[in-house]
Amino acid sequence: MPLETEARAQIRAIVAEFRPEHGDLLAAMHQVQHHLGYLSREAMEVIAEQLGLFPAEVYGAASFYEEFRFTPPAQTNIRWCSGPACRLKNGGGIRDALLATLGLHDIPGDTEDGRVGLILGQCNGACEIAPMVWLEQHSTHRVEFVGNLNAARAIRMARTLRDGGTIEASIEEAHRA
Amino acid sequence: MPDALERYEALRASANAAYAAWRSPERPRIDVAIDQSSISNGALRTKAALERVATERNTAVDFGRVHGYGMQWVHPTVQITFPDGATVLYGPVREADAAAIVDEATGRWGAAAALRLGTITGERAGVPSIRQHPFFALEPERRLLKNLGLTDPESLDHYIARDGYRASARIFGRHLSEEIVRNTLNEAGLTGRGGANFPAGTKWGFLFGAPGEEHYLVCNADEGDPGAWVNRVVMEGDPHLLLEGMLIGAYGTKSKAGFIYLRDEYPLAIARMEAAIRDAEAAGILGDDIFGTGMEFHLRVIRGAGAYVCGDETGLLASISDERGMPRVKPPFPAARGALNKPSNVNNVETYANVPLIAAHGSDWYREMGTKAQSGTKIFSFSGDIVRTGFMEVPFGVSLAKVLEACGGIADGRKLHAIQPGGPLGSLVPASALDKLVLEPASFLPYDAMLGGGGIVFGSDRTNVLVLAEMFAQFVEEESCGRCTTCHGGNQRKTEIIRRVMDGDGRRDDEPNLMMIDRTIQFSNCAHGQLSPKSMRNVLQHFHAEYEAAMRGEDATLSLRGATRFRVAQPRDPRVEEAVAICPVAAFRGTPGARSIDDATCIHCQACTDVAPGAVVREAKPAAPRMVPIG
Repeated sequence: MPLETEARAQIRAIVAEFRPEHGDLLAAMHQVQHHLGYLSREAMEVIAEQLGLFPAEVYGAASFYEEFRFTPPAQTNIRWCSGPACRLKNGGGIRDALLATLGLHDIPGDTEDGRVGLILGQCNGACEIAPMVWLEQHSTHRVEFVGNLNAARAIRMARTLRDGGTIEASIEEAHRA
Repeated sequence: MPDALERYEALRASANAAYAAWRSPERPRIDVAIDQSSISNGALRTKAALERVATERNTAVDFGRVHGYGMQWVHPTVQITFPDGATVLYGPVREADAAAIVDEATGRWGAAAALRLGTITGERAGVPSIRQHPFFALEPERRLLKNLGLTDPESLDHYIARDGYRASARIFGRHLSEEIVRNTLNEAGLTGRGGANFPAGTKWGFLFGAPGEEHYLVCNADEGDPGAWVNRVVMEGDPHLLLEGMLIGAYGTKSKAGFIYLRDEYPLAIARMEAAIRDAEAAGILGDDIFGTGMEFHLRVIRGAGAYVCGDETGLLASISDERGMPRVKPPFPAARGALNKPSNVNNVETYANVPLIAAHGSDWYREMGTKAQSGTKIFSFSGDIVRTGFMEVPFGVSLAKVLEACGGIADGRKLHAIQPGGPLGSLVPASALDKLVLEPASFLPYDAMLGGGGIVFGSDRTNVLVLAEMFAQFVEEESCGRCTTCHGGNQRKTEIIRRVMDGDGRRDDEPNLMMIDRTIQFSNCAHGQLSPKSMRNVLQHFHAEYEAAMRGEDATLSLRGATRFRVAQPRDPRVEEAVAICPVAAFRGTPGARSIDDATCIHCQACTDVAPGAVVREAKPAAPRMVPIG
């Protein structure tokens, strides 16, 4: 039995309501990530104990899904919509411009200082404002939708975030003509 | 002990009173449409602004909530319901319009005249019915969407007052034979709406006949096809319709528990479904003692985590069962081994949503809509390069050309180029097919295409069809679960080849290789692999000239990297320096007044043409003598 640390006790409280063989694994992982921002090794061990699984089974399941991450999240994530309506309106160019602006090679990726991340978004059916991105702030769980973008607007938005600007300031940049 | 129907009537009486008061309020009420699309368009800011204005002026107005009516291109929308019961729809309503809307609602009729879209119900002089709007020309009658705009989607009372749960109370109360329930669905011709089109009643029969007491009824709400938001509209717009369909399904399959597997990308749908379950349990409609009959049905929402392949039923069942969401070989079919390894039945959201309607109105009524081969209505979502993005409910069999007309045609004076139904496993159909296509699965077969779950994207001649093919190739590659080498390896190769062709480095053997990959991927286990080569196959079938042109380094749409370049056309235009400043890769060379663009550095993101259109241009790459390798 691993040592009971404060962190483990906190995670244990977060997943206390979940049961083995009850289809609770996804909910447990969501709950932990919601509170802590990612699934640490310790968290997956606690989830495994709680649900009567091996930690490898928890990691195996978690790593299957796009949404779970194993390192702390960036302060603000830009979730780039990969859908077809966005793609028809230069969504691909916006992705490449965001990667270049943030100095990243691929999605998902975070800037070295952990300020901005670029993650993959899936179409949620607000295609009238394509092309779009979501801005997600982990500490507040705030989500803002930024639509009717073009590459230039996306670059100004990302530069503002990269250089330490607020979400408000970056949205303002995105909406500047 | 009161029987089920008496219990229902008691619920109904209080629901009627609550609904009547909502429909004809004592003072005007402003309902802001709150759904995923509206929120993305700033509906919450609009709502806050309206409430601020009302508070500042201390006006006699109330606030409420509805779901959007389908016209997403004018979101955010609001509705004003007046004491006489008339309801007028307005949009787009921005924060700056808040005062006008509050004025219009509270006695200064005309203040928001410019924002009026039409009446939802009742009459107002000079305001046409919203049903006369061309967008709704193909909707003879709303069935699945009948409550939109006319109820608060978060109110159980409103659903009940509009005949909700009456059919299920009758089924439970009269102990109708399960077989009759299932047969009625088959007589109506209800088939799976997720795309597979299997008769729903027959599928339910498999689970009904399965051994044991523990049966699970599962709803596939993992609507992952980009461009499709049909299920989202049902769950956000009328969550109890899905619950009632599943309740009847529980009866028809002898299930005591069930799951709604709902994609993570739909947070509002998750919240509304969970709230609807709680409300229905509290009212004795779900839970331990349904309508006092002693029968039980417990429902839970399982929140997905961004894996498209969990839309395959065996992947979905694995995901519910604490495993990696990887599809497996069938048999065993879900009716033998499903969620938590117990017998299960999986249907799509819209399939279940049709059930209460059939149970209430009968199979003959249901068959009044649609075609001989495919009865009923279906919700479709339309997007892409069209004037009006939104959703509508149409009978099967309506002409796609008329749909495009209802959507206002292609935007920006462009021409239709490609039709994309059915998501990443769906198809790419040429514009020339438009006049021959109707919204019915069989209509798409001659094009080696499929209609799919209800999302249809229209692409204009601004975008090369390879751009869409590459997008879907990458999508199916990334979403491959990895079980079959054919699928995860084949789709990687396919993506690489398409990218090479787009970059102007196509080889002669690419086409035969793509066809070989296509034939090989079809040996994958699940539909994800089997259908994944379809869109690229469609390119070679229907857009071969465009593919050949790309092989030559030509592209009439100017959207392929390999066939285009960016050039400073007016070096002395002051906006060129803005373009220099915005370029994220510093591809501009030279000094102000004498700028040029280094094509090797340029990533073709278009930021420069966004800020300096005309001064910087995108144009066809000059033809260069090019060696085409034989091998």
